[in-house]
Amino acid sequence: MSEVALLQLIGLIVVGIGICILLFIKGKFLRVVGFVVIVLGTFTLIALGVPQMPSLPPAIETFDIAEVKTPDDLAAIGQKIFFSKGQCALCHSIGPSEAARCPDLKGIGAKLAPEFIYESLTEPQAYIYLDFRHEGLPKEYPARMPYIHKNPIALSQQEIYSVISFLQKMSGEPISIKVEDVMNIGKDNEVEVASLAAEGAH
Amino acid sequence: MNRFNEGSHMKNHGIIEKLKSRVPTVKPSSLFGWSVFWALVLLPAVAWAQDAVTQAMSVEYRDIPGLGSRNVVWVVAQQHLLLAGFVLGVPIFAWVCEIVGWKTKEARYDTLAKEFTKLLTSAYATTALFGGILLFLLIGLYPKLMAYLSDIFFPSFIVYCILFLLETVTLYLYWYGWDAMQGSRKTFHLFLGFLLNVFALFIMIVPNAWATFQASPVVVAEGTAIDRAWAATWNPTWWPVNIHRLIANVVLGGFICGAYAGIRYLLAASQEEREHYDWMGYVGNFIGVFGMLPLPFAGYWLMREIYQYNQQMGITLMGGFLAWLFILQAMLIGVLFLGANYYFWMGITYRIPGSERTYRRPILAMLIVLMVCLGVWMTPHSLVASLEEARKMGGTHHPLLGVFGVMSAKMTVANLMILVTFMSFIMYWRAGKQETAGWAKIAKAVMGALLVLAGIAVIVLGVWGYFVPAIIRINYFSVAQVLIVLFVMVTFTPLTAVLMRSAKTTTEMVWGQMPIRAGYSLVSNAVMVILLMSLMGYARSSSRVHWHVYGVMRDTSEYAYSPALGYAAAFMSLNTFVFCLLVAFIFWVATMGDKGKKIPEQDQPEPAKIPAGVTPAMAGGSPREKA
Repeated sequence: MSEVALLQLIGLIVVGIGICILLFIKGKFLRVVGFVVIVLGTFTLIALGVPQMPSLPPAIETFDIAEVKTPDDLAAIGQKIFFSKGQCALCHSIGPSEAARCPDLKGIGAKLAPEFIYESLTEPQAYIYLDFRHEGLPKEYPARMPYIHKNPIALSQQEIYSVISFLQKMSGEPISIKVEDVMNIGKDNEVEVASLAAEGAH
Repeated sequence: MNRFNEGSHMKNHGIIEKLKSRVPTVKPSSLFGWSVFWALVLLPAVAWAQDAVTQAMSVEYRDIPGLGSRNVVWVVAQQHLLLAGFVLGVPIFAWVCEIVGWKTKEARYDTLAKEFTKLLTSAYATTALFGGILLFLLIGLYPKLMAYLSDIFFPSFIVYCILFLLETVTLYLYWYGWDAMQGSRKTFHLFLGFLLNVFALFIMIVPNAWATFQASPVVVAEGTAIDRAWAATWNPTWWPVNIHRLIANVVLGGFICGAYAGIRYLLAASQEEREHYDWMGYVGNFIGVFGMLPLPFAGYWLMREIYQYNQQMGITLMGGFLAWLFILQAMLIGVLFLGANYYFWMGITYRIPGSERTYRRPILAMLIVLMVCLGVWMTPHSLVASLEEARKMGGTHHPLLGVFGVMSAKMTVANLMILVTFMSFIMYWRAGKQETAGWAKIAKAVMGALLVLAGIAVIVLGVWGYFVPAIIRINYFSVAQVLIVLFVMVTFTPLTAVLMRSAKTTTEMVWGQMPIRAGYSLVSNAVMVILLMSLMGYARSSSRVHWHVYGVMRDTSEYAYSPALGYAAAFMSLNTFVFCLLVAFIFWVATMGDKGKKIPEQDQPEPAKIPAGVTPAMAGGSPREKA
């Protein structure tokens, strides 16, 4: 018997007990207890009727460097991170969407240089966004974009570069991030994004 | 060697000395041999003790086999929180009643205030008991987290202790000095009541800082211990939670008073008792509704702050795995609104004879509006559908009902439900009375026009909200809806009060005639409020997902997940039931003495009469008449 089925059974028994109390017991206080039991049992049964979705902690994903052979492999890992650990898809869409809360990222890899994307991910307040939606002069508007390299998301540098590779690939751009440089990140510690981008990047 | 190891070493040294004393006297030549022997025996013990200390320092979690540490903490924390809400809500309730009694010279309000203050001594001890159990459990089961929180908040622990001392002293003076501080000393007693509530407020907001810090931490590495504690205390969700809980405690206090009165009404053996508890039920429901009307606004502010602090957390709450929780919340709030209104409507029908014909149609209209609003509020954004059903609908959003599943619709109906409830209260207030003021007609026409305009404006803004960007709707339209409803409430209340001051009573209010279901509706209201508090506690805790302190300290225990709603609801029901039993026990214990010292009927004092020209103390209340 599943946990939900077991709880439903308990809920039904509780409601049944409450109904029996109301039907067969004359004591007024006990009848109130029976009424409360019916209300609580019914509430539990209704709650068991809606979709049951526990919130599991995300698996701690690691960047498996051995798997990466080509820029496409990098982009494939970036795609996974975009929709999971990176939580990008929680707010951004790729293509127009009514549900999206933040800018549409379709074609973003072609519009922005990888250095700029990197900076947007790690220093979202570096450029002040001007909000033109209000009347009058455009207002300075602090970005709500989280720092992707810090908690709670905390992507590693390698993971950030793979996301940038994915953004470039899905925008139809050649991937300018060099695989060997990404692989060397752990060795050299800090590697500037500029050195990772191939010449001629936007 | 660190301090702990030194300690263990000294301890073992002591053991060696003790053991030595038990050893028979031996020749000096054999001393060396004994020393070697004991060294061999005790050295492993010294090493084990050192290991144990090191191990204890590195323990992150402990578990309770079979029950699960989180489940135990969940039940104990929930009981502590509900009891805390009760002991903070009741003094507000009692103090307000005492002021009303003092201002209007109606002795029954003073008696009511005293009756509820009497509960505080036993309720206070029970709350502290659960607080103590919770603290021991947290220290034992979550040592790493508690060490971290203690490091940040230690200065506030001291403040908390001092506040408890002050609160205890004030409570003793307030309760034991009740009879001694009547007459000219009454104002001092009221001042003590004020102090009691001020200390209670601070006792609430200090631990709120610890809880809100876990959700929206502000971690400062520099500065003194006080600087760090203060920065962590003043986190983004601290004040929204403070205000929300303060109002919610008033609601809890009011509705629990109502439930107590409801049960006593059902158990009443005489007409006099029925009258008394009918009136008490009215007062409890009145204060509960009074607090309930602004509560959604406080909740809205809290959600806005959460979104501003961290959009992901806001999305987890409103659009993520907790989205269905808000459907359950809508259901509970809807039933609460219906219950509170139903009680008002029964009051009009049974306490004011002849009114049922006048108010039947408005009551029916209000019922329909409330039911429609509840239906919209409970409509989920995405329907639970099979693949085939989803294909037919063209997605999980129903082509028609999907329109009602969004925030714009929900904000609109929530505001309309508040308006309707407020109008129920105004209707009850005015029932059985005839305005005599010359400007009464104009005032009523203005109020009618304002009400219609407010209703239309709320709906228009709600519909318009579909066609503007979310940020415009959230920042301007929703706020405007809230302000419109608040405007109606703050203009109607004093205007009606002034109108009623000069109104003549056409039908006397008759107490003690309410049907049995009135008592049950009062109990239902209290159960709904307790369930709501449990539900939203689960939401607040789950919004941190797998973090003890969001983004700072990850939960690495086996309980780092949030259980599904059904499982959580079973716990909420269990907690509600246990809490109801605890409160019933507290009431029973507190009133046990009264049964033994009942005054014979002929010796009872005359019930307090209201001096001529004095208006009823509470809106809609009427002078007590001897049956």
